[in-house]
Amino acid sequence: MKAQRVLAIAKKNLRSLRHDRRTIAFIVMVPLLMISLFGYTFGGEVSDVSVYIVNMDSSPANQSMAASIIADLQSRSTLDVKNIVGPEDATIASVSQARQKVLDADIWAALVFGENFTQDAAAALASLRSGSQVTPATLQVYIDGTNPNIVQAVTNDIQVSVQKVLILPPNLLVPPIVMSPQLEYGAGAEFIDFFAPGVMGLAAMMVTFMLSILSFVHERGASTLDRLLATPVTEGEVIAGYALAFGVVGLAQSVVILTAAVLLFDIQIAGNALLVLLLIFLLGVGNQGLGFLLSSVAKNEFQAVQLIPLILFPSILLAGVFWPLEAVPSFLQPVSYVLPLTYAVEGCRSVMIRGWGAGDVALQITVLLVFAVVMLLLSTFGLKRRR
Amino acid sequence: MSDEAVVGKSMRKEYGKLVAVDDLDLKVQKGLLYGLIGPNGSGKTTTIKMLVGLLSFSNGEALLLGEKVPIKEKRSLIGYMPQEMAIYTEITVHENLELFADLYSMDEASFKAREKELLSMIDLTDRKDSVVSQLSGGMKHRTSLACALIHDPELLFLDEPTVGVDPELRVGFWKYFADLKVRGKTVLLTTHYMDEAVRCDVVGMMRSGKMIAEGPPRTLMQETGTSDLESAFLEYSRRDTR
Repeated sequence: MKAQRVLAIAKKNLRSLRHDRRTIAFIVMVPLLMISLFGYTFGGEVSDVSVYIVNMDSSPANQSMAASIIADLQSRSTLDVKNIVGPEDATIASVSQARQKVLDADIWAALVFGENFTQDAAAALASLRSGSQVTPATLQVYIDGTNPNIVQAVTNDIQVSVQKVLILPPNLLVPPIVMSPQLEYGAGAEFIDFFAPGVMGLAAMMVTFMLSILSFVHERGASTLDRLLATPVTEGEVIAGYALAFGVVGLAQSVVILTAAVLLFDIQIAGNALLVLLLIFLLGVGNQGLGFLLSSVAKNEFQAVQLIPLILFPSILLAGVFWPLEAVPSFLQPVSYVLPLTYAVEGCRSVMIRGWGAGDVALQITVLLVFAVVMLLLSTFGLKRRR
Repeated sequence: MSDEAVVGKSMRKEYGKLVAVDDLDLKVQKGLLYGLIGPNGSGKTTTIKMLVGLLSFSNGEALLLGEKVPIKEKRSLIGYMPQEMAIYTEITVHENLELFADLYSMDEASFKAREKELLSMIDLTDRKDSVVSQLSGGMKHRTSLACALIHDPELLFLDEPTVGVDPELRVGFWKYFADLKVRGKTVLLTTHYMDEAVRCDVVGMMRSGKMIAEGPPRTLMQETGTSDLESAFLEYSRRDTR
């Protein structure tokens, strides 16, 4: 091995980079984007989980343990208490209203303090000292079990407050206050049930975007696109043909993932699997358009490959695939709500875990439909523009 | 209908300060084999791309078979073979031909007949089901030509059809171009191999986006007192710069 020759090869490679400013920009930007996204999202704790509280505790406000627990919960940012009903006008009806909010997925959880909450807790405390057996006070929590991360965050936060208010050592055999969580959705759901919809959306997005951008960069480079456009085919027909092909690829992939998830991991699909496939198809069609649009930015396959992480990373980290949007730092959350994958994943989860129908995921379907249509129109327009 | 298949009037294409095609006038009679010749960068490819509707005009206009460019209705009357081979290399020869036949809305029967004819012409009948990437360069070239001919167009634009084609095959190509002419088709091709352009009925000599001479090869050579087109081109260039 001769140093001169090795250096000659190395010099050639660095020199060719020198003239490719875009590649240099990518070399700097991609790692910056990755480190900041990972840094801000990976360490992120779940916060601002929206909850309702129904407080029926009849003890006077200055003695009410319920009030103390509520105050303590509000002092931290894990829960975002949207509404507190009671103690004056809280009724059984308030409980079912709050529960309905959970069922509608407007809020993640509803905390219910019963009428004799403080009394029961005090009696249980006293009996602990005397050694007799008394039923502890119950804090009923109706919680949306769609997202295990959320369930965990909510229950942990409540435990912390309960222990703080009682000033007791943790892990008492019979605590004076027990939390009784009731999962409204996803009873028996495991992490795989939560991941499967996310992974499906992510996979469909990756494959359609990558196929599309690479195919179009190739079509431009090899002049096959020129040749197509010299035939009677219209720009809209070219785009529609691409969208159809890659939409089907995205679908086929989703079927594979769904089947594997059901057979290997025994995941549950509470709703209609076809609705899931529709959401994925729309996502695939839209991403095909995005790939096309970005193919005009990339001069060659080399640059196209570098664009891929720029598009994929924000979606992987911010669209709620691996952890809930509640764990995304608030200044990045607006980005989450702009990402189509966020809606696809949310829609698929609602169908698969909550068992929702088309009407319940109308928002997600609409957003993805608009995304697909806008991307197709922009692509067609982009193809029509002659240099 | 007029006798001209192609009429270009003051065709102009600018890229910023660079003028690729400089007020070019062009007339191609129907049924002729017209060769646009000139060195690389003289504007031949840009001219063809403007005519087939892939590039916009900075100024001027053009008519193809009487219809203003970019043509819409009559697109199936033209065929185009770009400079790069521009065929899909991951599918077979047959699948490429079928793709273009479908884009020209050919029916199954006429496609089959036409495919058979073309495959025998380009001598690829037994390689019909081979994936294009596995073919030799010459075979790919022939496939590319067949794709431009599949719908039996009236007017054919061939951009450097003989670049990278071995001499034996090149003779075959020219034979086929002459044959197209006999069948009443019009062919507009570009080449920078000036010597082979003597086989054209008319050649247009381009230099820096301008037409510096146009006429039958023999006439151009006589007028410049040269014995080949390359020398004639150099003579016209000399006169043009004067």
